[in-house]
Amino acid sequence: MSMTGNYTILQGGVWALLLWPCLLTVSHPLDCKEEQGSISRCPTISQEKLLDRVIQHAEVIYRVSEESCTLFEEMFVPFPMRLQRNQAGYTCITKALPIPSSKSEIQQISDTWLLHSVLMLVQSWIEPLVYLQTTLDRYDDAPDLLLNKTKWVSEKLVSLEQGVVVLMKKMLDEGMLTTAYNEHGLVQYDVQPEMLESVLRDYMLLSCFKKDAHKMETFLKLLKCRQTDKYNCALY
Amino acid sequence: MAASSSSSILLLSLLISSLVCLSTPGSAFLMDGGHMTSSAPLEPHFTECISREQETFRCWWSAGSFQNLSSPGALRVFYLKKESPTSEWKECPEYIYSKRECFFDTNHTSIWITYCIQLRTQNNVTYFNEDDCFTVENIVRPDPPVALNWTLMNMSPSGLYYDVRVRWKPPPSADVTAGWMRVEYEVQFRGRNSTVWEALEVQGTTQQTIYGLRIGEEYEVRIRCRMMAFTKFGEFSDSVFIHVTEIPSKEITFPVTLALIFGIAGILILIVLIVISQHHRLMVILLPPIPAPKIKGIDPELLKKGKLDELNFILSGGGMGSLPSYAPDFYQDEPWVEFIEVDAEDADPGEKEDDQGSDTQRLLGLSQPVGQLTHIGCSHAISFPDDDSGRASCYDPDLPDQDALMLSAALLPGQPEEASLDVLERSPGPEIGERPIVHAQPQGPQTWVNTDFYAQVSDVMPSGGVVLSPGQQLRTQESTSATEEEMQKKGLENGDGEETEAKKEGKQKELQFQLLVVDPEGSGYTMESVARQISTPSSSSMPGEGYHTIPPQPIDTKPNQEAFLPPPTTTGEFQSPYIHPDSPQSQFLAPVSDYTVVQEVDCQHSLLLNPSPAPSPPPCLPQHPLKALPAMPVGYISPELLGNLSP
Repeated sequence: MSMTGNYTILQGGVWALLLWPCLLTVSHPLDCKEEQGSISRCPTISQEKLLDRVIQHAEVIYRVSEESCTLFEEMFVPFPMRLQRNQAGYTCITKALPIPSSKSEIQQISDTWLLHSVLMLVQSWIEPLVYLQTTLDRYDDAPDLLLNKTKWVSEKLVSLEQGVVVLMKKMLDEGMLTTAYNEHGLVQYDVQPEMLESVLRDYMLLSCFKKDAHKMETFLKLLKCRQTDKYNCALY
Repeated sequence: MAASSSSSILLLSLLISSLVCLSTPGSAFLMDGGHMTSSAPLEPHFTECISREQETFRCWWSAGSFQNLSSPGALRVFYLKKESPTSEWKECPEYIYSKRECFFDTNHTSIWITYCIQLRTQNNVTYFNEDDCFTVENIVRPDPPVALNWTLMNMSPSGLYYDVRVRWKPPPSADVTAGWMRVEYEVQFRGRNSTVWEALEVQGTTQQTIYGLRIGEEYEVRIRCRMMAFTKFGEFSDSVFIHVTEIPSKEITFPVTLALIFGIAGILILIVLIVISQHHRLMVILLPPIPAPKIKGIDPELLKKGKLDELNFILSGGGMGSLPSYAPDFYQDEPWVEFIEVDAEDADPGEKEDDQGSDTQRLLGLSQPVGQLTHIGCSHAISFPDDDSGRASCYDPDLPDQDALMLSAALLPGQPEEASLDVLERSPGPEIGERPIVHAQPQGPQTWVNTDFYAQVSDVMPSGGVVLSPGQQLRTQESTSATEEEMQKKGLENGDGEETEAKKEGKQKELQFQLLVVDPEGSGYTMESVARQISTPSSSSMPGEGYHTIPPQPIDTKPNQEAFLPPPTTTGEFQSPYIHPDSPQSQFLAPVSDYTVVQEVDCQHSLLLNPSPAPSPPPCLPQHPLKALPAMPVGYISPELLGNLSP
């Protein structure tokens, strides 16, 4: 199992290195959110292309998050506790969000709601990931690969948020959404937790994030299917 | 505060669960390689929960060692969906008792939400393993791909290996097109004989290439898939067999190789034919004949070392008499050979004169019938009955005297009494003064019994004239070698003293010597000669001298000699046959102030005119090869010795 884990770690590292410029180019047009009426310096992008790029973002974020979780699990989590991630159902920070959780549900909601769900998820995770970086830095022997991955993911999440916002503007003609779904102050910076507690918490965090990244990716892909072929993708 | 309390509760629960984990003999199905303690009774547990398409899932249980619970209905399945803190355990929505399976349909399946399942008996005895909690996306094992087929791609150049492209379709149950699931595939193959499967890299496209399959061997290929970035693979598909035998395309290359072989063979045959047809020419070009003495009518065996007696006998007219012109041809196979034709002259002076005249005319290049010899290049065969047929091609009459220094020497049999000198004619015409001409001195009847084929150059004039020394009068035998005659011909004038005087009177004008030097290192048939005019002074030859001597200038001539003579490398060769270092003849040559006798050629191939007194050793260490000569006739060096002299 460790062999496959090492392999996936290497793979993930290679992925991250390779996808760096790809995502930089991808993220470039998403930085034009503030220019509405002025002569835009940014090149306009079609909706399909934008959606594709957003999906690419989500896919890579999910993959990197999965690798980070595996890496963390192998480094810090004792073997008997490794399946605790499956039990973290109601400890995830996003549990309170009204997000569909089954395919049937997803197929029943509208595009708007789908996009909103994605946006909620993305915005919920921006700050916890920043926190995660600080806690990981506190570990003595955290591998650089893990740190780099989490750093990378948190940055990409920000650009993903921007992309979703632009997408929503294009698709739904909605204005700028306020980040009303901000998470609660779950984290506390003052307390220096014990090692095991910290480890478990971070483990939960990573597991939850991985799950939500998968959610984001799936939502976006279903959305794309709806855009291209309404008959097969949507039940309604 | 709440956070800390919740975290502490969490920690506590985890610790307890870990303890429970370690204590319970049952194994959670989610654990890989779950721990099994041996002897404790196995309580009812779940064996596995699998979702095929991320929309439904099913779980299987077993009663373990508790066989009384194995009957249907004895155990019940409850699940907990951790959607909120207030969730409750619910019973399995659909039982399939025959398989001991609990099936969750789409309505009861939620993704990304933790499920926990437990077994309960009728008596509410709960068998619950905390590890049996999962989220549906983590238990997805997709169905195997369908429509697996293969196509032949490439053959290796050696024809032993080939590549195959395998294609398939994603499992129909997995909603890949809608993007609900992202699937990646793994292809495995093995040869018929082996038991180990080779796995290719996991990738997400629906085709893959297998490289390096061997011809004639049968292969089995199968495929499975999993959710991307997840760990659990689905089942393998049915195997597909690949078997490729000999490919007919190999025959296409066969004629190409055959054509190549035939082409090369044809070219080789052509080359052989060319070589055979141009055999002679190629032979001459590649293997120029060695300048060995070749005299027509004389067996070349006699010309070898140590057979002077027989040769002399023949040449003197013994045996069959003079060499007939119809002498057996010893050189049939070498048509390019040039001969020194030696004719047995009869004693008729008139005839001789006629011959001479004819010779002279011939030598002068007048219209003459072609000689008997074949000439190649500008070779010259000096013989009395010979014609010079190729001479004109060599000689350029327009060359100025200074430039075209042609030393032509006629090898003449000379007699002291009848110094008949045939000098190679350079140009026709009676103008002696302008051009180098051949000076032919009519002589009396001459037999060449006592004649030299070579004339010894005993001295060289400062102006370049050559002093010929009487050589043959003192010897009874001669060995003749046509080598130097072929290769180097020096114009020597044999002149009887009286006759030369007579001639001189007759030709008060300048007598011109021509020294023809042929480079032996060339083809042997081209003439590399330094021609110059030698104006001879009035002869004051001593009686008994068969040669026209040239006033010597001992010291000065040395540089002149070198200036006039051919390059030093060949000088020795040319000079050597005419050098008579120790023969008593040199003593006969009373050193007149006008003449210089070339006594020696030292190791640097410079002519030593006044030899140092005998005891003084030559400057060069190697013994003068001439000194080591056996009793050779004066003025003659056999080819072997010639080789010793040359550098």
